[in-house]
Amino acid sequence: MTIDARPKPGSLEAEQAERRPLWRSLLIHAALIAMCFVMIYPLLWMVSASVRPQDEIFSSASLIPSAIDWGAYWRGWNGLRVSFGTFFLNSFVIAALAVIGNVLACSLTAFAFARLEFFGKRFWFAIMLVTLMLPYQVTLIPQYVLFLKLGWVDTILPLVVPKFLAADAFFIFLMVQFFRGIPRELDEAAMMDGCSAWRIYWKIMLPLSTPVLATAAVFTFIWTWDDFFGPLIYLNDMRQYTVMLGLRTFTDSTGESDFGGLFAMSVASLVPIFLLFLVFQRLLIEGIATTGIKR
Amino acid sequence: MTEAAQPTLAAGGESVGRASGWSRFAEGSGPGYLFLTPWLIGLFCFTLGPIVYSFYLSFTRFDLLTAPDWVGLENYRRILTEDPKFLASMRVTFLYVLFSVPLKLAFALAVAMLLNKGIKGLTLYRALFYLPSLLGASVAIAILWRAIFSADGLINQLLWSLFGINGPSWITNPKYALWTLVALGVWQFGSPMIIFLAGLRQIPQDMYEAASLDGASAWRQFWKITLPLLTPIVFFNVIIQTIEAFKSFTPAFIISGGLGGPVNSTLFYALYLYQEAFSFFRMGYASALAWILLVIISVFTAISFLSSRYWVHYDD
Repeated sequence: MTIDARPKPGSLEAEQAERRPLWRSLLIHAALIAMCFVMIYPLLWMVSASVRPQDEIFSSASLIPSAIDWGAYWRGWNGLRVSFGTFFLNSFVIAALAVIGNVLACSLTAFAFARLEFFGKRFWFAIMLVTLMLPYQVTLIPQYVLFLKLGWVDTILPLVVPKFLAADAFFIFLMVQFFRGIPRELDEAAMMDGCSAWRIYWKIMLPLSTPVLATAAVFTFIWTWDDFFGPLIYLNDMRQYTVMLGLRTFTDSTGESDFGGLFAMSVASLVPIFLLFLVFQRLLIEGIATTGIKR
Repeated sequence: MTEAAQPTLAAGGESVGRASGWSRFAEGSGPGYLFLTPWLIGLFCFTLGPIVYSFYLSFTRFDLLTAPDWVGLENYRRILTEDPKFLASMRVTFLYVLFSVPLKLAFALAVAMLLNKGIKGLTLYRALFYLPSLLGASVAIAILWRAIFSADGLINQLLWSLFGINGPSWITNPKYALWTLVALGVWQFGSPMIIFLAGLRQIPQDMYEAASLDGASAWRQFWKITLPLLTPIVFFNVIIQTIEAFKSFTPAFIISGGLGGPVNSTLFYALYLYQEAFSFFRMGYASALAWILLVIISVFTAISFLSSRYWVHYDD
């Protein structure tokens, strides 16, 4: 299930590449580099804007600041009543819990669908697929009413508990696909030896599934980190805010005057995602290519 | 077929033979349902229950403080006949879907085809093109976009220094505000591009070899080989991206300061629904809006699936 990037030596593609005249290869590379540059330029510009002197931000389109000034990071970090340190900590806690919940609950469910036989399996599987397509708006208000009645509004529970109940059907689907690819002989042999379903799940399936578990974990982290809608609805107390809510509050309060600080915190908020991207780039891209993740 | 020869985890399930549903359930389904328990609880509490309740709420007036008050079809009648904001949000959302999805997919396919030519450095290019997709959902990127397209932002600086054009304030001009969001959507063409790339690699190269020998131009090869063989992936991407576009919320919220302005020009459907529910606490009305959205998405999906047999190519 890997998508090898490079053409293998001797393959048709390699031959095709070799036959192509040099000028055409150069042309393709020039086009790609130009496009990459246009795509990435806004990101680089934001990074550069976050370290340049305040008065220079909107007077120059160039990427190279006249002087490096890290002051915006300090101003931004303490720009609100509550420091961004708190927001980062909150985001990390929520994202980490979401990762644990998703990986555990979705793999349990996926194991049942991929390996166990039970009455009504096809029915439940179809229901699971339908929930994939359901727009969240349809369940939004009753969920809010439910969490309000439970007294969970203004806590992180509405953002975390559903993950422990496998509410992200997408990852169930992802894992079912992967589990089905694991040779059945392995768990059948284990069962002959008297292993329970639980032990097969825990001792055989999970260790063999680290790629898909890691993919689910990384995507869950990134999506939870980026999530704006959930925290916007459920978190009202600034001490509970996530980074995304902090950024939004920043744009409302000081954004128009302190663009440096706003950009600095925006860049800071992207750093964890960017680091995950650097480390797990291959995993993420394979995850998308094999399952069609939406973003 | 004895159990020893054909073990299944649901031991006993097969030996019962023609037993009734309930006894089969009781005999072999234990472990399955045990593993399914968390998901089933979630399904009933967070999905199925709420769907039923949401449908009920859509026929009521409900402000969270007092009990829902049954009003029959009144919410739907008002939405469909006398709500200018509903019409505005429909217009904005359909324009967004209609332009951002095809443009995004066209870019994705074009770049994927360039990358599929056996070039060096594919991994790096692919990663760079994918990066905006991964970061794009963040509030930080919406903030960046607002700054780039502001009156003295990056775009106007570039227009001025390269062409001497004095650009408008894109974000605050109702004529242009939506198009900055379309641009933001198209900028994130990375993930459909990766899916296209995976699909392109499945097309056997000898088909192109044969076509080249017959003298077919690259243009003709695209229309006669690449596109037809890729239609299942086009189909998949169209469905996923369209549903996502219908649900789009965060960029419009950040760029318009939560208001959907200027003059409702960025009032996305999801944003309007949010306002009704959480700014004005008209929960019944917002539920009705949600059901209309569900109907629209279902109709779109149904049309796509029904039409697919006329244009999606499946292996014979």
